[in-house]
Amino acid sequence: MFLVGSFFLFAAFLITTCIFVIFSKNPVNSVLFLVLAFLNSTFLFILIGAEFVGIILAIVYIGAVAILFLFVVMMLDIQITTLMFNIKRYIPLALLFAGIILAEIIYLTVFKTSKDNLDTFIRSKNNTEQIGDVLYTEYFIDFQLSGIVLLLAMIGAIVLTHVYRPTIKRQNIESQNSTTAEDRVKLLKIKSGEGIKDD
Amino acid sequence: MTSLSFELTIGILKIFSFVVPVLVSVALLVYLERKVLGAVQLRKGPNVVGPFGILQSFADVLKLLTKENLLPSSSNKFLFIFAPMLTLILSLIAWAVIPISSTYVIANINIGILYLFAVSSFGVYGVIIAGWASNSKYPFLGALRSAAQMISYEVSIGFVIITVLICVGSLNLIDIVESQKNMWFAIPLLPMFVIFIISALAETNRLPFDLPEDEATLVAGFFTEYSSISFGLFFLAEYANMILMSSLTVILFLGGWYPPIDIFPLNAIPGIFWFVIKVFLILFVFLWVRATFPRYRYDQLMRLGWKIFLPFTLIWVVITSAFLFYFGLLPN
Repeated sequence: MFLVGSFFLFAAFLITTCIFVIFSKNPVNSVLFLVLAFLNSTFLFILIGAEFVGIILAIVYIGAVAILFLFVVMMLDIQITTLMFNIKRYIPLALLFAGIILAEIIYLTVFKTSKDNLDTFIRSKNNTEQIGDVLYTEYFIDFQLSGIVLLLAMIGAIVLTHVYRPTIKRQNIESQNSTTAEDRVKLLKIKSGEGIKDD
Repeated sequence: MTSLSFELTIGILKIFSFVVPVLVSVALLVYLERKVLGAVQLRKGPNVVGPFGILQSFADVLKLLTKENLLPSSSNKFLFIFAPMLTLILSLIAWAVIPISSTYVIANINIGILYLFAVSSFGVYGVIIAGWASNSKYPFLGALRSAAQMISYEVSIGFVIITVLICVGSLNLIDIVESQKNMWFAIPLLPMFVIFIISALAETNRLPFDLPEDEATLVAGFFTEYSSISFGLFFLAEYANMILMSSLTVILFLGGWYPPIDIFPLNAIPGIFWFVIKVFLILFVFLWVRATFPRYRYDQLMRLGWKIFLPFTLIWVVITSAFLFYFGLLPN
């Protein structure tokens, strides 16, 4: 009873926050609602007993990805009216993706009937250990490939955005660290009434 | 139904038994900080309110409570008020999984360390929301600095935690402490211990890494626009986070509630005493560092995080796991 009640509570929250992500006028509010949506999906994962997946979702998506989103969105100066106008252009694409995901869910829930096996598999051991058992053995290639894809994406983003501008003054940390007091300060003995020769 | 309400009462009492000591120790920590800074700088520190000035922080809190709470007219009102609350809540909910002794813990969950890591990584939201909602340039710059800084140092904290987890073989905090019964991880993993303390300084925005609230360039950083109790909440949260990171250091590296050597007069003392003593020592290091080192420049901070700590911790993870693997020391 308690589990079912909390499932519907969090699921309702999840859907509500997702709707607010789309319809918030201010992009910063959208990102904050997105964070709430991630948080609610974390709760849903924990409810089905997959606490490792849930908390990793929280760490990666709330703790890193959404912060970077927020970071970028906060610095944009977006005209809200043009943003709302553009939304209609993306509706066909959105419907396409929504249809694909819906079809996947129907396929998994209706045609795949190994649900009981899955349930006993989940309950048999602590799910952190289970993921650890298969991640580097059965799914080794997939895991490494996804790692390489992410690395490529990161390097690509850096290559695309990083432009070396020779006019910018940079700090050279090595030369700063290797500086000694003798390089900066010189002790001179000056004869009275003569001053320093400029050389 | 009676058993449910009984359990609820017990749960609430347990929560209070953590939250109240944390808040009181925050007040005492502020006092300690001022005393330590005073001693280092050959001053007396607070010495007027109460015996030895020990009630000074309580007087400060009362003063903050009676001040007017100002709302900047161009700010985003809801988020402006929400940010300090979020910061304090996040610094307090982390205590749900901290084991003070082998039995004294609110929730002994399987993935305690990941929960702590998640909660401490959420901490940046309070800062960044505060900076944005203030709608003012210095808080905004402070928030941006803070976001970049906390994300950078989380990476090395993550690798340090992974090194410890490889040695333990469990994500449960009590298991982590119990595997240190014979030797604290601070000894075999000394470089990781040092990196963890330095990263903790950066993660809690303490000196020498307090660039988000750098008063010389940013007035007061992300809480420039805050006054009265909303400023007080940020202040409380910062010190509560310091205590939290110190407790995490003690759990990961200094053997939690275990005495330094397992012999008679030492192991007769209750574990909670050892835990508190160790947390106190780490906190003293925090204050000592504050009194000793000048503030980093921002590019130096980023260089330290990404170009020194990240490769070093990454290599150390590989070395540790290779060592454990070839000598057959991997836990089950």
